[in-house]
Amino acid sequence: MDVLVSLAVNGLATGMLIFLLAAGLTLIFGLMDVLNFAHGGLFIWGAYTGVWAYHMTDSFLLGIGTAIVIGLALGLVTERLIVRPVYGSHVQQILITLGFMLVLQECIKVVFGPDQKVVSPPSYLEGSFVVGDIVFINYRLFIIVIGLVIFFAFYYLFKKTRVGLIVRAGVMNKEMIQSLGINIKLVFMLVFMVGAALAALSGMLHAAYSGVIYAEMGLEFSILAFIVVVIGGMGNFKGSLFAALLVGLTQAFMAYYVPALSLATNMLLMAIVLVFRPQGLFALR
Amino acid sequence: MNLRTIEKSTWVYLAIAFLLFVVPFLVTGRSIQFLIIQIFVFGIFAMSYDLLLGYTGIISFGHVMFFGVGAYSTAVLFDRFEPTIFTFGLAILVSAIIAGVVSFIVGILTLRLKSHFYAMLTLALAGLFLVGAEKWRKVTGGSDGFTFGLPDMLRDSFTLYMLSALSLVLLFFGLRRMTKSPFGKVLVAIRENESRTESLGYQVLHYKVIVSVVSGVVASYSGVLYILSLRFVDTSVFATDLTIDVLLMTIIGGVGTLIGPIIGASLIEFAHHWLSDLSDVHWLFERWIILYGTIFILIVVFFPKGIVGTLADRYIRWRARRTE
Repeated sequence: MDVLVSLAVNGLATGMLIFLLAAGLTLIFGLMDVLNFAHGGLFIWGAYTGVWAYHMTDSFLLGIGTAIVIGLALGLVTERLIVRPVYGSHVQQILITLGFMLVLQECIKVVFGPDQKVVSPPSYLEGSFVVGDIVFINYRLFIIVIGLVIFFAFYYLFKKTRVGLIVRAGVMNKEMIQSLGINIKLVFMLVFMVGAALAALSGMLHAAYSGVIYAEMGLEFSILAFIVVVIGGMGNFKGSLFAALLVGLTQAFMAYYVPALSLATNMLLMAIVLVFRPQGLFALR
Repeated sequence: MNLRTIEKSTWVYLAIAFLLFVVPFLVTGRSIQFLIIQIFVFGIFAMSYDLLLGYTGIISFGHVMFFGVGAYSTAVLFDRFEPTIFTFGLAILVSAIIAGVVSFIVGILTLRLKSHFYAMLTLALAGLFLVGAEKWRKVTGGSDGFTFGLPDMLRDSFTLYMLSALSLVLLFFGLRRMTKSPFGKVLVAIRENESRTESLGYQVLHYKVIVSVVSGVVASYSGVLYILSLRFVDTSVFATDLTIDVLLMTIIGGVGTLIGPIIGASLIEFAHHWLSDLSDVHWLFERWIILYGTIFILIVVFFPKGIVGTLADRYIRWRARRTE
């Protein structure tokens, strides 16, 4: 029993991190029909800059703040310079964002050095507590809480506010929104920036979670985010939460019970989904 | 055959092909011959990739799996059986069959969907192949890999050079014939406008599956040659980096042509070679991928046809102006 619960907590924490990463990606796809393979690059930039600020100032919150600011800024740059010239062509988008991904990843090595960096959570989030015979690790619970808060904040934003209404309507029919006099390009840009900031935040939280960061994480997490988006259904915000949790939980349980297959879990999940339900498990349309 | 019906460009290519066979008599250094063999191997690999990307408009992120299948089948067969020419033929056959079957299944499953699904599924499958090669230690030796013996004939770097040069030339002309055939025209039509091609009565899926099988088989053959030149195999033949390399080769050289990927392959193999030497001079050269990625982005935005396509356009415009 205690094993099951701690595996579940573990999986949920990983899932929440993946959700933060994938949420932006799925919105960007839903709204702008853009396949952004550079998303993992934003993730590692968030991780490295956040950790840098955290180590410099000894304040974890400042690290998170730095990651978010860097995410917003990089999101702006990516949208303006990389994605804007290739709106409308999937093939070109995939190619150019993949190229940008490589550049982002190598720039990390230039700025922060090619070696791995070791990170630990701040003292007030370290440690664990025991309920019955089940051990809860504080930082994992912290990530789950953050993930849920962000999910509900965005859910509220989408359902109850005018901005959310515009974004939701944009996902459905962007020409109509434009003809109603709304500057859809500005909305695109803002969504892209917010998505990038979420990815950067996810990177920062993941850094302290896994304890070690390295530049190659960029491509790995780009792929992981895409897997989640494919499973959840492209453009579906809620779907990406469920898919991310599914991926996180499957990963945790497979790593424990079938370690031989753990590396292949995500790929298998995606292959199965693509074969039987290519529009994603929680597809909108 | 009437010589006059042969296009002028064919003569140019034949002349270049002839030069390739003269080179090893002039350039005898082992390391430089090895480099040129690598260019031939990756030229073949990139050509097979361009059949998908450039001619049909399909993006694959897992093309490396066919390369790896070729490499591993060859290595395993040479390891298990007597290293003879017969085993070599068997290796080519086995890898072609595996690559053909895999690409057929993948194609049937995802080519009816939108482009990014094929990209994702091939990426996933290539990942599975990599994990499989790591885990199936009995056969693959895991991530340590293994060395194997070659038949006496293929040990010599001169023979290997001739074999890969011959393969490149034959495949180049063979694929060129295919892309200029009515079949090739349909592929280009699919790239330009899939729904229109379909409404003209072509079974788009059939064409796409056939081209993906051809591409997979050719890629597996390049894997066979690659592993012959290395005489050692490990899981790096399934690494995503190779897919990205071949993607860059195709894009930089020029999509939608066959000579473009070969030129791209030579540029990138030379860049690998010289820039890794330069990294002793300054550490920034170790990070040459930045340069690489930047050039790649600029090419996608400003010269989407790559080196060959852009030059060809210039030439056509220049000729048009001269004849005015």
